[in-house]
Amino acid sequence: MILFRRFRVLILMVFLVACTLHIMIDLLPKLEKRAVGAHGEEGGCQCAQHPGREAQGWGKQRARTAADAGWPNKHTLRILQDFSSEPGSNLTSHSLEKSAAGADRAGESGGASAKQHKPLMREGTGGRTASVNQAASRLSALFEHPLYKVDLPPLTDDDTLFNVNNDIRFYPRATGNQGWHNEEGDEDELSPTAEVTAESYPNWLRFHIGINRYELYPRHSLVLDALLKDLVSQRITSVAMKSGGTQLKLIMTFQNYGQALFKPMKQTREQETPPDFFYFSDFERHNSEIAAFHLDRILDFRRVPPVAGRLVNMTSEIRDVTRDKKLWRTFFISPANNVCFYGECSYYCSTEHALCGKPDQIEGSLAAFLPDLNLAKRKTWRNPWRRSYHKRKKAEWEVDPDYCDEVKQTPPYDRGTRLLDIMDMTIFDFLMGNMDRHHYETFEKFGNDTFIIHLDNGRGFGKHSHDELSILVPLSQCCRVRKSTYLRLQLLAKEEYQLSSLMEESLLRDRLSPVLIQPHLLAMDRRLRLVLQVLAGCIEKEGYVNVVEEDLSGDTATHRGPGHR
Amino acid sequence: ELDDRGSKMQRLFSHPLYNIQTPELNPEERLLQVEQLIEYYKRKVSHWERRKKLHEEAASLANISFMEQKMTYDPDASWLKFHLGINRYALYSRDDPAILQLLSDMKNMTIVSADYTQDEKALKGACDCTQVVKPSGHHLKLALKMRNFGKAMFKPMRQQRDEETPEDFFYFVDFQRHNAEIAAFHLDRILDFRRVPPVAGRRVNVTGEVLQVAHSEDLRAVFFTSPANNTCFFSKCLYVCKTEYAVCGSPDLLEGSLSAYLPGLTVAPRISIPNPWKRSYTFSGREQWELNPFYCDSVKQAYPYNSGNRLLNIIDMSIFDFLIGNMDRHHYEIFTKFGDEGLLLHLDNARGFGKHSHDEMSILAPLSQCCMIKQSTLLRLQLLARPEFRLSDVMRESLELDVLRPVLTEPHLLALDRRLQKVLRVVQRCIRRLGQNEVITKDFIKPTVTP
Repeated sequence: MILFRRFRVLILMVFLVACTLHIMIDLLPKLEKRAVGAHGEEGGCQCAQHPGREAQGWGKQRARTAADAGWPNKHTLRILQDFSSEPGSNLTSHSLEKSAAGADRAGESGGASAKQHKPLMREGTGGRTASVNQAASRLSALFEHPLYKVDLPPLTDDDTLFNVNNDIRFYPRATGNQGWHNEEGDEDELSPTAEVTAESYPNWLRFHIGINRYELYPRHSLVLDALLKDLVSQRITSVAMKSGGTQLKLIMTFQNYGQALFKPMKQTREQETPPDFFYFSDFERHNSEIAAFHLDRILDFRRVPPVAGRLVNMTSEIRDVTRDKKLWRTFFISPANNVCFYGECSYYCSTEHALCGKPDQIEGSLAAFLPDLNLAKRKTWRNPWRRSYHKRKKAEWEVDPDYCDEVKQTPPYDRGTRLLDIMDMTIFDFLMGNMDRHHYETFEKFGNDTFIIHLDNGRGFGKHSHDELSILVPLSQCCRVRKSTYLRLQLLAKEEYQLSSLMEESLLRDRLSPVLIQPHLLAMDRRLRLVLQVLAGCIEKEGYVNVVEEDLSGDTATHRGPGHR
Repeated sequence: ELDDRGSKMQRLFSHPLYNIQTPELNPEERLLQVEQLIEYYKRKVSHWERRKKLHEEAASLANISFMEQKMTYDPDASWLKFHLGINRYALYSRDDPAILQLLSDMKNMTIVSADYTQDEKALKGACDCTQVVKPSGHHLKLALKMRNFGKAMFKPMRQQRDEETPEDFFYFVDFQRHNAEIAAFHLDRILDFRRVPPVAGRRVNVTGEVLQVAHSEDLRAVFFTSPANNTCFFSKCLYVCKTEYAVCGSPDLLEGSLSAYLPGLTVAPRISIPNPWKRSYTFSGREQWELNPFYCDSVKQAYPYNSGNRLLNIIDMSIFDFLIGNMDRHHYEIFTKFGDEGLLLHLDNARGFGKHSHDEMSILAPLSQCCMIKQSTLLRLQLLARPEFRLSDVMRESLELDVLRPVLTEPHLLALDRRLQKVLRVVQRCIRRLGQNEVITKDFIKPTVTP
């Protein structure tokens, strides 16, 4: 069967090459002119073109950032190409392919970059919110604000998660990708001789390469937009249950070998956490995962991996593509003729809590995977303000008002930016109402001078009518905040940058819109004011300079990373 | 000509159909003899006295606040009279004042002890979370003891009155509803079956009337205070398996149903028999009766359904279950003393009244497949379909007597009328097909049908 298939592919290839040659002869002069125009500046790398374009939209500062931080520069991309071990690379066919891509190949399934190329270019130049009302887009106004244009310090090899010349080869699937597509025969236009460039890497890999000491992704990233689109559009090729977690999560693998964590919808938008529920028995909400990603981006933290909502077909995209017997066994048809399953986990995995489609469509959030732990080890830290996770016991911080003094003396909170990061996280969690932040993670490679990753935000947005002030305790006990965070919070409290409107606008882009109901959006404005009140109280008590940590003026590098080598 | 004034329920109960007297009872047809029961009661009292001392010592050692209630030995207790009144035809007689007294005792009387029920104890703490169909011991219910040693089973409120069973729920994962327990007792009485032990609603103080009188350390361990400062407790297995959260008072008061205990199994043994129209209790399985329209023919041939009233009693039960929408009747119980001719107990009706907008016709399979019904049952059903005795009106009136009124929402009451019509239509169809003589069995005159 496979032999026959290959043979068929070969014939197709021959036919294609003939056609290509024919077209080439006709169009060669024109094409070459175009290729030079497009790639001349950066040596034939299409992605290097993006920052250039972006720069038009996002101001001149952006160009540097993108080249320095947001994206591996020309040099590293070259190295990536070398490790792609694709024989017979040649520039002509590559240019040809790219031009053809430019012409129109929007319906193509596998070539993510080619497919996303056109609309993204338009978005990049025409503003991020092309689909939303452009004239009144508060979100683009926000990102135009100087507070959202602060640069990262220059990045060295130590500041990027991957030394591209070492690490990418460990992604066998990423490089194997190309061959696989060719065998399939549905990528005819990607001739086997096409050169593998960094932008032909799938978006998830480009996202991984972009992670650095200060952020998971740059402020304005075409890769991020493309990755979010991948999450909702890529074909799901296999599904597995995630072990270890308390509630049901599925690991979905896409056609392009990207992976994402799927959290199914357990509650409707209107449902609130019952008042008698403890934070540790609360449900994980898929819409909270989505909203947390958007909130994190609006706060300019960029510490939440990209999340997108997706309607998943339970039959064809979960049941039929899983090899997990345990998962497969739990599928059943409900009395209302809907497809249901409940999986296996320690919390709420029983028939009483079965997840049912309508009749087989189920909503869920898909969070892009972070790089494999084998390639980028992460450290897990216990949150000093962790709750007791016990019905009757209290945690130390709940009893001791001077708890923060103790924390401040303990490494890693005694130096660097870690305590300030915790404060950022506290504010983030309070705005969502997430009481379940027991641990946080960092990338081991960056040591202690790095951001903390805000993973697992499914327990936010449970109660819109209640502000859980105990989440703010770290802030009120420590009375410290980054100046940049403080200024942004003040900005977001202003009428014209109102957090709720920004969130609403940002969430409109998600497939599952409306992600949050209005009361949740409004609660964020209310909570933001409470945060600012706490900070004002701190400043009054301890003085501005003792509360607000300068991280904006002068050389940003010294402030963003005091322990920076 | 329609007289709508006054009480429909009273008029119903004074109707001649509700005055058919059961044949004179000989002592053998009563479940218990007075001397036997009084002796049993005395044994219980002395047992309690002995245990009390132990409890007091344990409580002072563990330094827990333990409320010791005074117990009274009362030979005239309503529950004793209820037990004495049980005979082979019914659990109680129509005009027994002891039943009203029992209902009011359960409503008001001080609770002196709370414990797990026998079937929960029988599990011995073992929780198998992989079981799709949870054994009955898993469900949250407690055995409460009154000051006069009467016992009742407490089922707490799990669902709001206006909540319906989610459409994707199978019958075996449905909630246990306290109001269904209450309403089932009233309906059973209105249908004149009298096969459901008396049930009363009550707002129980979870702290004072359950936690502080719980002797078992295991039971005390499932109590906690919620973040909203309410007292909550949970069913250990369902909580451990994370299938169900706790039930919470607000802050202490929790409504629930109290159903009177039947005489202990030592004095009045019962057996539990699988319902021939039992469901498969799997996601996809079908039972024989769901596939074979002639299933009843084979039931009729099999013991004990081949003679006597047993099959007719099953049909009564299916009509009762259809009216309340209870699909979970996998077993029924009978008193061994009465043998095959005794009454069928309609215990455990908490899964009724889940969906008011849906009539589950498959529950009526025994009637529609066997095409036979007791004459007395049919006449009463026809009576209850008439406007002057309309079932929903009588039920509404009857349920007004309970403290937890409204026990049922209006759509559930109206569904009763609609379902009653469907039952009558099934009977009519049978009569058209087989004729009156085949379908309607004259009971108390000709108790046995042999086709």
